[in-house]
Amino acid sequence: MRIRLDPWPVDIEGGQLALTPFEGALIDIETPRWAAVAARPIPERLERVYVVDGKRRMESRVFIEDDDGAAGMGGFGAYVVGAVSLCPHGTRPAELTDVKAMRMLAHAPGLRLDPCTLSPRDPHTGTLLYQPVENTTSDPLAALHTLQQTMLAAEQQLSHGYASAVPIDEQDDREWLTTLSVQDGTLRGKNLYGAVVGCVKTIQTMYLPPDRASLLAELKPGERTPILHMQYNNKTVTRFIWYVRLSEAAFYQHPMSGVMRLEMYAPDEPDFLPPIVRQVANLSGNLLLRLGSHAHKDPRAPQNLIPTAALEQAMARSMGSADLVTRRIRAHIARTFDPAVLA
Amino acid sequence: MKLITPPRPIGMVLGTEDATPTIFWFAVTPGSSVQLDDLVVVQTHKPDGQPVNFYGLVDSVRKRHEGIAFESDVADVVAGVLPAAVSYAARVLVTRVSPEDFIPPQPGDLVAHARNEALHMALSADKMEEAAFPAGLLADGQTLPLNFRFINGESGGHINISGISGVATKTSYALFLLHSIFRSGVMDRVAAKSGGQMAGTAGGRAIIFNVKGEDLLFLDKPNAKVVDREEKARLGKGFDTDRYSMLGLPMTPFRDVQFLAPPRESAVGGVIVPHVDQRSEGVTPFVFTLREFCLGRMLPYVFSDAGGSLNLGFVIGNIEEKLFKLAQAQKDNSAALHVEDWQAEPDQIIDEGLSFDELGKTRIQTFSQLISYLEYKLLEENDGLGDKRWVLNQNQGTLRAFTRRLRGVQKTLTPLVRGDLTPLQAEQFRPNLIRGPHQLSVVDIHNLSGPAQMFVVGVLLRDLFEHKEKNGRQDTVFVVLDELNKYAPREGGGPIKDILLDIAERGRSLGIILIGAQQTASEVERRIVSNAAIRVVGRLDLAEAERPEYRFLPQSFRARAGILQPGTMLISQPDVPTPLLVNYPFPAWATRKDEVDDLAGRPVEEVGEDWLR
Repeated sequence: MRIRLDPWPVDIEGGQLALTPFEGALIDIETPRWAAVAARPIPERLERVYVVDGKRRMESRVFIEDDDGAAGMGGFGAYVVGAVSLCPHGTRPAELTDVKAMRMLAHAPGLRLDPCTLSPRDPHTGTLLYQPVENTTSDPLAALHTLQQTMLAAEQQLSHGYASAVPIDEQDDREWLTTLSVQDGTLRGKNLYGAVVGCVKTIQTMYLPPDRASLLAELKPGERTPILHMQYNNKTVTRFIWYVRLSEAAFYQHPMSGVMRLEMYAPDEPDFLPPIVRQVANLSGNLLLRLGSHAHKDPRAPQNLIPTAALEQAMARSMGSADLVTRRIRAHIARTFDPAVLA
Repeated sequence: MKLITPPRPIGMVLGTEDATPTIFWFAVTPGSSVQLDDLVVVQTHKPDGQPVNFYGLVDSVRKRHEGIAFESDVADVVAGVLPAAVSYAARVLVTRVSPEDFIPPQPGDLVAHARNEALHMALSADKMEEAAFPAGLLADGQTLPLNFRFINGESGGHINISGISGVATKTSYALFLLHSIFRSGVMDRVAAKSGGQMAGTAGGRAIIFNVKGEDLLFLDKPNAKVVDREEKARLGKGFDTDRYSMLGLPMTPFRDVQFLAPPRESAVGGVIVPHVDQRSEGVTPFVFTLREFCLGRMLPYVFSDAGGSLNLGFVIGNIEEKLFKLAQAQKDNSAALHVEDWQAEPDQIIDEGLSFDELGKTRIQTFSQLISYLEYKLLEENDGLGDKRWVLNQNQGTLRAFTRRLRGVQKTLTPLVRGDLTPLQAEQFRPNLIRGPHQLSVVDIHNLSGPAQMFVVGVLLRDLFEHKEKNGRQDTVFVVLDELNKYAPREGGGPIKDILLDIAERGRSLGIILIGAQQTASEVERRIVSNAAIRVVGRLDLAEAERPEYRFLPQSFRARAGILQPGTMLISQPDVPTPLLVNYPFPAWATRKDEVDDLAGRPVEEVGEDWLR
């Protein structure tokens, strides 16, 4: 009997490795030779890397009646997207950009609502403004869904807004890779043709067939697999993917510990590998070795990158204390029933 | 109430540390600089809209990365991988809340540097009014006002200065304060306000005991280095003018100074010249006549260190009384003491150089003759039993201890206490500290042995105290005395300690102000230190700084007292609840012979011509 450890703490749902088999098509788009590819230096031209992430929080579920007597469910929610702007060569301090919380009152379709302004008793602590947003369905979970979708859209917009464009055909090589967005988690939505790479921390689905998966255990830190063109059977998701090792696995851990999957948007037809994708893959090893965290500082090390952890903390902070916000919402609602109530 | 609009804000009150009416933290706005000892003002509003102003002093500043958890993260921040903000925060000790509504400031309230009006409020200068005089410059070049009413005895009195010798510059600061008191006009302003109750600067007197070297013998000479040093300080701190101008004080040496020094040893009837080495002119020797010694009951001050022994004290008291009677009975104005009942042995007559007046009375002219006479009265008369009325049943051991101690100080007191003076000389060389025309009297005692120093200090202070008891407090007399731990030690007693205690406790109402200094306040009589309204601390030994005597310094100041540079002092005064750090200018008077500015600003040739003329 041989038992090996999942590297992440047990309270993180799903662990780092689940290794569910993949149902879809994989094509060798870079090279037919299945062997480790060494990391290349980060090109001087790449001046800026944005590490982008988003976070959302449902703050209260509410039942709403509008002035016309229509009623439905809804929820007060907050979301935030933001980025850490850094130089991959370490020439300037990393800084947080665009970390700003937005608030919404997601509500069942067909209601007519005004924005809610929640004023504090203490003028120094600022007001909270909730913009009404209509849900697409009247499902009880629709408010959460709306919040999530809004956040993802904002996140995608942010990461593509920063990134260099990825040329869409073989002849177009005008665009240099000067700015890269590193997005936390899988890429969502449709391809907006930006140099955005998704960093997937966990290996929930094992895309590689068993005969190829053994390479992951053999990768040295910084090395990667060749790039693959991946498409789900239902054709909903098409990506270029590759795996990079960030750190050695300890002998008692699963040999795939310390490996991370990266993905970039890909066209449906597997006929063309944009040079920028290959560039990103080549530099990803060195970039991630630089950004990877350490186990004594982050339980999800090394996959949870140093800037990502800092960004998560900053985003959580920008949404404010959940308890205080909930109290503020309660006071606001109470006041609509009895103006004498304070908080 | 005057509304003080803060100028450019330098920060905001923090919400992550407790903000209280007496202490709070603020976050410094990026681009602003806040340092220790900066004075700041914060305005907050009560719910009814009424403003409350907090004035305070920055006693701690710190920077740290915020939002990161590990110390090694600093490497990631520098490598440009981890975004982090630097938090720059300062802690404020509140010195004043106006109006006195002790609500806490609100997190987010704007903090500004206290300047002009706000600075006056922060330092309570508005309460001092005409009694404010400059005590030095604050870190940003503004003047720290000191309340003269807490010095001259009206509301409080006395100044106490602590610090390590050499680097704490205690005496220099005491002199600077005297210069400021005499030359800023504060005495005149306070006198004018009192409506004739007090004399102004003209009535002010100061007595300084010079205990180390001949440092204080050139106070009336300009310092050749002061212009250079002040120019350097001005450039170093970026001030527009020199520090004397900023303080509103003249850059001049002391005026109306007399220098008193004990005479050199000389034979009976020899010339009386002052015992100083560096200064050749302008020093007056001072002596006491034997007659005065007896009449003025000075004997106890010879035994300043005796304390303790009850029997010895009894003998001293008795002899003191006997000598007083003898001197009182003497009708002429001779400096010597005449006794009838001493038939000295012939060889003693030769040894001691005794002489007799026309009536055959023995004329005691020297201190050693006086001791011989006492030995005769106590131990030799009546075949060794002594004169009953003098002995008063004390046993021989005690009497011998008494004479032995007298012999111990004989050498150093002989030049000081003498009976070989003409009445004219006696008048000329009698120390005259406050009745003369001199504002400042420097009494040089550094050449005297320990017991002789104690004797001089004790006798002069006692005379001063008795004079002021008779004449009242109209004129203020400042007494500068270093090494208080020697004169008024915490353990043990003695006549000088009694005098100093009298001054500390009653001097206030008599117009005698003690500017005392010591290395370690913990070794000085508690009541003397605690009676000082103004406490000043220079560089302190760190172990000393932790003693209870320095609890008036907040912890951060105690730590800083160990690194103060010469010329920088911490000052605590009753009007301001926290001590303040000041620097004061380089002395405008020479403190050594080589600092004396012989040229007085004139070219060398011109001065040379004057000499040759």
